[in-house]
Amino acid sequence: MRQLAMPGDVTEKPNSVLIIGGGVGGMRAAIDLAEAGIHTYLLETSPSLGGRVAQLGFMFPTHDCVLCRGTSDHGFGCTRPSISPVLMDQNRHPNITVLTSTDLVSFEGEAGDFKVGLRVRPQLVDPQLCINCGRCAEVCPEIRPSGFQLGLSIRKAIDKSAPRSVPNTYYLLEKVERCDECRKCVEVCPTDAIDLGAQPHELEIHVGAVILAMGFQPFDPDEMPELGYGRIPNVITSMQYERLASRSGPTEGIVSRISDGKMPKRIAWLQCVGSRDQLNPYCSSICCMYATKEAMLAKQRIPEVECHIFTMDERAFSKEYNHYYVKARDDLGIRYTRCRISAVDEDPATGEVILRYPTGRMHDEAAPGQGAIQEDHFDLLVLAVGVRPPAKAVEIARVLGIELNEYGFCQTDKFSPLDTSRPGVFVCGAFASPKEIAETILDASGAAAEAMRIMRDNLGKRTFSRSRPFLTVDGAPTERVISAQPPAIAIALCGCAGEISNVVDLQAVADYAAALPKVEKVEILPLACFQAGQERLIELITQGRTNRLVIGACSHRTHEPLFQRLMTEAGLNPYLVEMVNLREHCAWVHPNDPTGATHKACELIRMGVERVRHSQPIYKQERQPVRAALVIGGGLSGMTTALAIADAGYDVHLVEKSEELGGNLRHIYYAAEGDNPQRLLRDLVNRILGHERITLYLRSQVTRHTGSVGDFRATIRSELADGTHREHEIRHSVVTLATGGLEAGGNQYLLGQDPRVLRQSEMEDILAHQPERAARLRSVVMIQCVEPEGGVKYCSRICCTNTIKNVLRLKMLSPDCQVVILYKNVITYGFREKYYLEARRRGALFVRYTDSDPPKVSLEPRGARQALVVSVNEHIFGKTLVFEPDLLALSMSIQPSPDTAKLAEMLGLPLSPEGFFLEAHLKMRPMEFADDGIFLAGMAHYPKFIEECITNALACAGRSLTFLSRPSIQLGGVVAEVDSERCTGCLTCIRTCPFSIPEMRDDRNGIGDLGGAAWIDPARCHGCGTCTAECPANAIQLLHYRDEQIQVGLGHWQVPLQQLSVD
Amino acid sequence: MTPSNDFIPEITIFTCIYCGYMAADTAGSLRLEYPSNIKIVRLPCTGKTDIQYLLNAFEEGADGVYIVACSLGNCHHEHGNERGLARMKRTREILERIGLEPERLDMFFVSGGMGATFAKVAHEMNERIQQLGPNPLKQAPPAPSPPQPPPAPS
Repeated sequence: MRQLAMPGDVTEKPNSVLIIGGGVGGMRAAIDLAEAGIHTYLLETSPSLGGRVAQLGFMFPTHDCVLCRGTSDHGFGCTRPSISPVLMDQNRHPNITVLTSTDLVSFEGEAGDFKVGLRVRPQLVDPQLCINCGRCAEVCPEIRPSGFQLGLSIRKAIDKSAPRSVPNTYYLLEKVERCDECRKCVEVCPTDAIDLGAQPHELEIHVGAVILAMGFQPFDPDEMPELGYGRIPNVITSMQYERLASRSGPTEGIVSRISDGKMPKRIAWLQCVGSRDQLNPYCSSICCMYATKEAMLAKQRIPEVECHIFTMDERAFSKEYNHYYVKARDDLGIRYTRCRISAVDEDPATGEVILRYPTGRMHDEAAPGQGAIQEDHFDLLVLAVGVRPPAKAVEIARVLGIELNEYGFCQTDKFSPLDTSRPGVFVCGAFASPKEIAETILDASGAAAEAMRIMRDNLGKRTFSRSRPFLTVDGAPTERVISAQPPAIAIALCGCAGEISNVVDLQAVADYAAALPKVEKVEILPLACFQAGQERLIELITQGRTNRLVIGACSHRTHEPLFQRLMTEAGLNPYLVEMVNLREHCAWVHPNDPTGATHKACELIRMGVERVRHSQPIYKQERQPVRAALVIGGGLSGMTTALAIADAGYDVHLVEKSEELGGNLRHIYYAAEGDNPQRLLRDLVNRILGHERITLYLRSQVTRHTGSVGDFRATIRSELADGTHREHEIRHSVVTLATGGLEAGGNQYLLGQDPRVLRQSEMEDILAHQPERAARLRSVVMIQCVEPEGGVKYCSRICCTNTIKNVLRLKMLSPDCQVVILYKNVITYGFREKYYLEARRRGALFVRYTDSDPPKVSLEPRGARQALVVSVNEHIFGKTLVFEPDLLALSMSIQPSPDTAKLAEMLGLPLSPEGFFLEAHLKMRPMEFADDGIFLAGMAHYPKFIEECITNALACAGRSLTFLSRPSIQLGGVVAEVDSERCTGCLTCIRTCPFSIPEMRDDRNGIGDLGGAAWIDPARCHGCGTCTAECPANAIQLLHYRDEQIQVGLGHWQVPLQQLSVD
Repeated sequence: MTPSNDFIPEITIFTCIYCGYMAADTAGSLRLEYPSNIKIVRLPCTGKTDIQYLLNAFEEGADGVYIVACSLGNCHHEHGNERGLARMKRTREILERIGLEPERLDMFFVSGGMGATFAKVAHEMNERIQQLGPNPLKQAPPAPSPPQPPPAPS
């Protein structure tokens, strides 16, 4: 067994964390830990990173292309993407070691000190040598279904999993016997990267903590043959639909019928395939929304397509989801019918799929009776398959010694939602319970925070720097000062083992380029990115007076960091190199036009030379972050964030408006799962009060907040016991907003007018504190979704489970009590479905009402007393049901706390239509804002359960620690700069900036020395350049993209074609 | 002689470094052929497309110019591509006013995975410009000597 060489200091206690699973959750956790200075092994069993998310086309409800936001590859160049380019081959974070095609074999030890045995399966292509030319796949005779495209297209046995996989390399799917005879790939490989004899090898690593991010397995509809999958060609799974609708899919996003490739005119979705049934009694949480998304995508792409979704409930339970669902239903005309279809037939003549379903079950329809059965034909039927535990869950659980729950997912606890049953092993994402991307990302950062707590002595230890455009450990040679020197350019032309040189006449390009102004030397290299090529490049740029470099090779997207690093090693600023793409943009796309390709190569090189002539060194600012954090809000979330940061060894200022810690948690007495929230509250409060690193400000509010990440300043105003006020000035690096939410009040359904009408929280109070009163109750009605008049309609997410929790407690105290729940949709997502089933088993009646026909509540005299009368139209029997309950409990919507808007204005943050803080991205950046260093936790984001608040709060702590633990933060780089002397103060940049960053500063003078000029904070600028293109005075320039760098030979091709075509 | 016979247009395209450039890379990875007479100028975002750049390209003799951006609604900088689109439209108005066909300028929205669309657009624009003929602003081709450097930055 060989020990994997671990860079950096080797101490007795391990300073690494192992993450199992390279999907979106695993990648996010790895990045967080790496940023916090902890080394991370990212283990993935398949040959490339990305997981399920990489296979999705678009995300609900934003319709962002997942390609860009969701995978490491596509985060390229983003200044602050969710999964940043730090996992790309040439730009790997120095603290991340990626282990693909690797399996877990053994595991022993305890939290802080684990020994892990791994087995690495050979991919038979050496990623270090593979240049992605694809010649092996071209000659390979073995055809396989493409796993990435879910069998909708084919691949070769030796191929890449996707055009842009990470790691970016070819691999052999499986070696068959014929391979040894064939050996065509071995012969054709120009870099001898293929070794068909490679054997698996074993590794032992030493880690302090483990994070499980193993994701999920889509339900296999073969288990339900009645739905026709595999038997009827036009029945597909939702994952296959995702590939069809994806722009990186086999059809570039054109949805077509499998049987004949025709554009479908009618598409149906069947919900809950593999969820909410006898086999899988839980809700998969994501299918309602993704089916709506898929239908909306069809509507956008295919004119006049009809989309019909067959569903049980419409569970649109998160921020902006209800709005999205209503838009799909009302604006786009997507039809939702409530029923469960149990048989699917095919019309053999047309290939159409035949469904039978009851009429009168659409939204807001209340047709009496069972409804006539209608038969309908569809071109395509999509099975919205549910979420099953990951394929290797049982095996990995056995090796790790962790428990699985009754459904085969990882067992967790409500109050420690990221802990497995084994200390030091944490879980995130869908392996803990079915969940969507945003929650997976929160889980991942939260699990990283838990690992940081164990590894706190290592926080910030493995330093790295972002002072350059790529990530680096410090120690580069001193940079040469070149400002006084005239440009002297070296050009390197890479032949890419024939990939470029077989098409482009590199000698002709070299001859042409040598005559260009300021060019000192031109050299053709066989392979610039290989060791010999790199060494030669360093010689080229260190010899003589050369101070700039142009490389004609492949894409800057994959290889620029490598060449920028070489520049740094040669003592030059990394912004003085220019990459010209002669491979993807030239040789590969013009193989049959060598003259044209050579001509184009000359022109591109000429433009590169012109551009690099005007390139200037760029330096980032260094900032030592203040080692303190501010947390606003002393409820469950605020306390959890504060404790996690303080436990890691950093100071926390915790500000609470009221005179007591605890927030809403103070009024929660029991949970559906049976845990005791009051115990959690006492524990948290005691730990806060006793923590030496936490300064608590009660009866206090933040009245001023300025600055940017690493250097924020705030004023905290506290009310003293005698009614006077005291102000504290603090400095901090990061701030977490945990201001929470409130159960709404109102006067609906006689609330506040009759003592028998209460809010659900008051019902809980009775059940907890007056059990004898509860035991006497004979009839209770509960109404769900009670919203304040005129507000935005949204699902408050937690009320259904909360109501059901009270129903179960009531049924326990008074088993004969008639309990009726009037609802629109029952939102018991995930494993909470269990309590819904249990409530029904105990005899609670669930009666659905519609928006247009809500229940009526009135008082009617019954002799001396007034009876409380609730009536509702039951739509299956078509009868009006009338109840006279002892109590009527209302589930009021959860609103943001009243100061949210004020705080948002002070910090310059946006609000969602519902009035909650609006994060930077609903899916990929669920707790961040456009500005670094400001985080969002708990119900200030959206209504959440206790376990969700804890996860979110830990995620904020984890992300905060990535800034707090860093020796230095680098700011700026490729950002926009205002030349004050040209600024007319027209405010155009302020109106144009997508991120509201430019501001007018009265300490700057504009044109004519008039007071006031625009200023762009380099710590905040994203570098898109939109303002520079709009500024009427041309007063703003984007560094590295200055006008003179772009306006070089935009028009006429200056290389004469005839000169090259002689040959 | 009709212009489409041996007239090879000179086309400049502007892409963002996200989807636009990536789509070109994908076309390369998939070996999708398109005419070699287009050259890519890369910008951080198509919101950086200055009207001046587009006009300069025509003034300097480009027969056709187009912009390849992220899909609408999917810009990495929220709505940079919408800004770029607005400027493209404004530039078309200017072209029309000075007597150049506005169809010489266009904008396309692709995702990074859409290599085939990138190649298709390249074919389409090439054919369109062939139909329109050479840019009348183009001067006679210069003598085969290295180009004159533009003025040094101030």
